[in-house]
Amino acid sequence: MLLFASLSGIAQKRYTISGTVTDKATGESLIGATVSVEGAHEGTVTNEYGFFSISLPAASYTIYASYIGYARYAEKVVLDQDYKLKVPLVAEGNTLQEVVVSDKAKNEAVTSAQMGRESLNVKQLASLPVLFGEKDVMKIVQLLPGVKAAGEGSTGFYVRGGGADQNLVLLDEAIVYNPSHLLSFFSVFNSDAIKNLTLYKGNQPAQYGGRLSSVMDVKTNDGNDQSYHASGGIGLIAARLNAEGPIVKGKGSFLVSARRTYADAFLGLSGDSTVRNNRLYFYDLNAKFNYKITDKDRVYLSGYYGKDVLAFGDVLGIDWGNATATLRWNHVFSSKLFSNTSLIYSDYRYKVHVNTAGVNGNMLSSIKDWNFKEGLDYYLNSSNSLHFGFNSIHHTITPGIITASPAVSDTANSRTWENAVYVSDSWKATRKLNIDVGLRLSAFVVLGGDSRFYTLDDDRQIVDTLRFASNHVFKTYVNFEPRISASYQLGHSSSIKAAYARNAQYLHLYSNFITSNPIDKWVATNNIIKPTVADQVSLGFFRNLKENTYESNVEAYYKAMHNVADYKDNAQILNSNEPIEPQLLFGQGRAYGIEFSVKKNEGRLTGWLSYTLSRTELRINSVNDNKWYPAIQDRTHDLSIVGMYKLSKKWTLSADFVYYTGNAATFPSGKYEIDDQAIPYYTGRNEYRRPAYHRLDVGAVLKLKERKRFSSELAFSIYNAYGRQNPYVITFQTDPDDPTKTQALQTSLFRWVPSISYNFKF
Amino acid sequence: MKTSVWMLAFCITAFYSCQKVIEVELNPSSPRYVITGNITDRPGPYEVKITSSINFDQDNNFPVVSGAKVYITDQNVGLTDTLTEVTPGRYLTHVLAGAPGHTYKLVVALGNEMFSSASTMPAPIALDSLYTQPAAFGDGTDIVALYNDPAARGNFYYLALAVQDRPSEEIYLHNDKINNGAGVTHVLNNDADIKRGDIITVELQCIDTDVYDFYYSLDQALKQNSAVISNPKTNIRGGAMGYFSAHTIRTKSFTYQ
Repeated sequence: MLLFASLSGIAQKRYTISGTVTDKATGESLIGATVSVEGAHEGTVTNEYGFFSISLPAASYTIYASYIGYARYAEKVVLDQDYKLKVPLVAEGNTLQEVVVSDKAKNEAVTSAQMGRESLNVKQLASLPVLFGEKDVMKIVQLLPGVKAAGEGSTGFYVRGGGADQNLVLLDEAIVYNPSHLLSFFSVFNSDAIKNLTLYKGNQPAQYGGRLSSVMDVKTNDGNDQSYHASGGIGLIAARLNAEGPIVKGKGSFLVSARRTYADAFLGLSGDSTVRNNRLYFYDLNAKFNYKITDKDRVYLSGYYGKDVLAFGDVLGIDWGNATATLRWNHVFSSKLFSNTSLIYSDYRYKVHVNTAGVNGNMLSSIKDWNFKEGLDYYLNSSNSLHFGFNSIHHTITPGIITASPAVSDTANSRTWENAVYVSDSWKATRKLNIDVGLRLSAFVVLGGDSRFYTLDDDRQIVDTLRFASNHVFKTYVNFEPRISASYQLGHSSSIKAAYARNAQYLHLYSNFITSNPIDKWVATNNIIKPTVADQVSLGFFRNLKENTYESNVEAYYKAMHNVADYKDNAQILNSNEPIEPQLLFGQGRAYGIEFSVKKNEGRLTGWLSYTLSRTELRINSVNDNKWYPAIQDRTHDLSIVGMYKLSKKWTLSADFVYYTGNAATFPSGKYEIDDQAIPYYTGRNEYRRPAYHRLDVGAVLKLKERKRFSSELAFSIYNAYGRQNPYVITFQTDPDDPTKTQALQTSLFRWVPSISYNFKF
Repeated sequence: MKTSVWMLAFCITAFYSCQKVIEVELNPSSPRYVITGNITDRPGPYEVKITSSINFDQDNNFPVVSGAKVYITDQNVGLTDTLTEVTPGRYLTHVLAGAPGHTYKLVVALGNEMFSSASTMPAPIALDSLYTQPAAFGDGTDIVALYNDPAARGNFYYLALAVQDRPSEEIYLHNDKINNGAGVTHVLNNDADIKRGDIITVELQCIDTDVYDFYYSLDQALKQNSAVISNPKTNIRGGAMGYFSAHTIRTKSFTYQ
């Protein structure tokens, strides 16, 4: 604190205005609202708790605060001492119907040094057509430039050539290890509970770490602290209910959201008793409480619990789910120093139950984290704001305990400890030049205990196995992760930006299946699996047109990845204590591309167009003769068009269209005969392409008659409106009608999925 | 773990899905030799078959490979048998008598190329009994085979099912990595339409670990149920595909009532 005292001593005769920006009606803090000062070229945006701080020379000012979808707020201030400001913004129009493409301030996209960031306002989801009518932020994220959907209907995504496990998915700061429900057709994010989603595509600020490609930071609503409200919806396969209200008016609030699918209700209609006994559903629950203890202290307790159940009669059952809990404490040390302390627990687990004549047993696998975080925002002066802190996570991974009669496999829990310290500065170097510079220092400690550490020979056979006492530090990896980005403004409405970032990743996901699967396996870094490291450089041009009605940008990136894994031929990623290390091969990856995006944020017609031209390749020791080859997620072209049109006061229409080049795939170039069966013969990995994917979805929202406090709407949509049969799986087999021939068989999911849902709010 | 296949099947039936045959333009491939050979604990002669691969879009007429020099050596007794090509691509032994515990070495010379393999015949395990039960998945009938895994570790089993002499295309495998030394109730799921009076035959083979890996990876390759799509792991060295297996055979049949 001595350092801070002496630093602030330099800035004499300057005073600080600090405070929070909130929604007047609900008391929700607003993240990323703009606070500007007339008469001074000063401005800032609120942090993730709605807090801001600006230092100015003593004088009289008018302070403005604005946020998209809200009326501008103005207050005259005579600044002769430090000043505390509470800014309540009034929302414009009916929020249920609001269609907003969020951009922070009107030209913040141009002025901010940050690159590769996409921010979503959940309200903008309201009218977009979605599969089964279930709104999903992750489906929207997939429509953004540089982001690719992992597959038909899937919530998984690839960012700038990174794998599906290279995205850090945070829900109120807690890591969500499997953000999907129902074989990944739905995400765990119940849009009723979500306030804000920010996606960083590789240039994440230094406070984030642990994944190579992106950070998807999801914040939930705090709950209305003024009055009690409920909202909900009934759709074809799911129902939702959300309740919120004050604990003590203006001081604390709660929010509870629940959701349950009833897709399996249709199974009951089946005449087949085996089908009737199947189960397929998920439910989830979000709860949050917050309370302002004093003007300077506020605590938040939030939790998520979700579970999926899938069962095939009594014979086979799989259930899986995430649980997270976050306890946070905001403390304002001074008008310039804001602190947040978090204690976070997160747990992902799945259980497979098998009961046949041959086998009767369970397999349980889990990943459990205890996470402590301290983050400080220090608003040093009008041109520098510093962010610094540390983070420490203890991971326990249970790879798969089998309890079968009579045998029980022993546990091989892996325990690791992931630590980081970081510091960054948002520096307004000149009126035109903004620079964000940061350094993250991460250290990953591999602990002993049940874990087995292997030594492999050149053929990747295990030649030695080691175990250590549980407090023994087997290995420590340290990585310096510098991050820098800068923007230089050209004229009033355009800028060029450049950025470099290094990211290190210590946990990896391995899968036995091309599409994501609840039983995919998380594995921590050890002596053989090294941390993956990515260096990304990017360059961009940003321009707003017609007084910020249109936002456009072009970003080019090149990313080099080190210690990337691919699988050995015939690899089996089993969910057991079977060592995974012999199944993996390591090498390098590179991804490069250019992203174009145009957004229209205002008017009756809003939406965006994004196009990405890119390449993602791997060079792995002993795969495809050590040559570069396309990664599965490599897609040359990727186009998304999203449009929403306010037809009248009652009707809003919407549509989205996606087109992308088919994934790289391994197809047979020949065949041969074994025991009278034709067997496909493969000559190389990923040397073919699947057919291109394209799809149009259309939707419409009808606002129903409003009563005093009650409003409701009907949402209609058709997913895959022209019934394109997109490939989900392509297999090669003997022609059932002509055994002398072989054929390629394509399985498609989801043609013309219509849906209707009813949403209400009071 | 075959659950992913079940899950896929489940979600396909649970939602809409449709299948169609598509045209995929596939590259031509240069032919590769495919060698399959078996030595059993039954009386010989034993056969080695050599064919070659073709392009995927060609008809299933796999060219046979003639003129190879094929030798099998019983390494326990030092006896080498030179095989005779009886019909094009089929090579038979003369003097070898397969015996458990013996290691057999296969050598195939084709022009300038040389391929080799070795396989050790495990001790035989009896097939105790067979019965049927309604299928766990679908409407069919499962065949259940019972046998006892011995106390020593490292046993690998391959089962072949035939209904009225029509062999099932399913690959049935078992090993003793879990539940070593216990009785095995092996459920053979199949899509055969079994009728009253059909004769059902199950063959239990005890195979060695490399042959087990071959069949396992073959099954994964056919079902596309592995982390990567690749050719099965052959135990033939030198660049040919296929397998060479020394195994024991125990067979049981019954008539479905």
